[in-house]
Amino acid sequence: MPQLNPEFFVSQLFWLAVFFAFLFVFLWRVSLPRIATVLEKRQNKIDENLSSAKELQEQAMEIEKKINDQINRAKLETDEKIKETINALQEDVSSQLSSLDKDLEKKVSDAEKEILKSKDDQMKNINNEIANITKLTVGKITDIELSDNEINKVIETHKGSFN
Amino acid sequence: MAAKDSPLKQFEIDPISNIELGGYNISFTNSSFAMLITVLVITLFLTLTVNTRSIIPSRMQLISELMYNFIAQLLSDTVGDNGKKYFPFVFSLFMFVLIGNMVGMIPYQFTFTSHIIVTFALAAVVFIGVTILGFINHGIKFFTFFYIPGVPFYMHPLLIPIEVISYLSRPISLSVRLFANMLAGHTLLKVFAGFVVSMPFFTGVFPLAFIVALTGLEILIAFLQAYVFAILTCLYINDAYHLH
Repeated sequence: MPQLNPEFFVSQLFWLAVFFAFLFVFLWRVSLPRIATVLEKRQNKIDENLSSAKELQEQAMEIEKKINDQINRAKLETDEKIKETINALQEDVSSQLSSLDKDLEKKVSDAEKEILKSKDDQMKNINNEIANITKLTVGKITDIELSDNEINKVIETHKGSFN
Repeated sequence: MAAKDSPLKQFEIDPISNIELGGYNISFTNSSFAMLITVLVITLFLTLTVNTRSIIPSRMQLISELMYNFIAQLLSDTVGDNGKKYFPFVFSLFMFVLIGNMVGMIPYQFTFTSHIIVTFALAAVVFIGVTILGFINHGIKFFTFFYIPGVPFYMHPLLIPIEVISYLSRPISLSVRLFANMLAGHTLLKVFAGFVVSMPFFTGVFPLAFIVALTGLEILIAFLQAYVFAILTCLYINDAYHLH
């Protein structure tokens, strides 16, 4: 077996030492720090991105909260305005209704007064007519000239019966 | 032993240029050449793919990062925060064994991890380093590593020698595991390759198909052995920090 031939043991060990030592030093000083830098750089970048993403998310949440607040406030304001408008309208309507009622009442009372007045006038006319008719009738029948006062007196006393 | 057609011929070392230093033969051999290729592949790959240092990695850069994270994860899982210091060493060890095995999978290419002297040297570095580390961390108390608490006292005369022997056999088991796997796999491939040539007519396709499947398995083993070597190193480092 060539492996057990000690002829080249020293040569093998020597070159192994040379090459392995070179490899070790080279990797330790050059290659591995290089890879480590890249990995570190990438990790930093990832961390940075993550933290900025987190920040942005927080900002977004804040903005969303603001929007919600504003929406709520707007809703409340709208509700209040609607209520106010309804109240104002109701007041307006009721005041208009009441003024209308007053108007109507006034008109009714005016009409009543007018009716009463015209009734009175009519009654006066009727009284005059009655007095005239009575004067004429009595004059025609009895030749007695009745004075207006007498006739009116009689009519006044009997007024209740045909009023 | 190494006849012309022997499956073990592939493990023979041929000097490329003869060098002698202080009376020792340190010839640059095919084994040294495989190590050179391995080191070049690792250093060039890890350097060039991460050259742009881009945050969004290219596919090749991703491979380098995957290897980095693979060993970093392994080390932090087994040793914890103490392990960070040993990351360059464990990473170098893993890459050296892994690419050494992979370079060996190229046909006609020498596999230096199939030589016990190489694997033993690597295991010895780990063993001696871990032992020194244990004494640095715990001083003389490191010997209590062999004392298992919670065992009846009369068992200790039996258990302490077992613990000592198992501790001392670590470099042997670590190196023989890798060496034997590589040796067996490459020998098997060579034996079946011999069948492809020697079997009559078209029947040679059967060992050929077997070789194709076995090559896949060998690549898996090449990775697995590098992983085992790295994870055991991590566990030994952990032992140097945490006694029983």
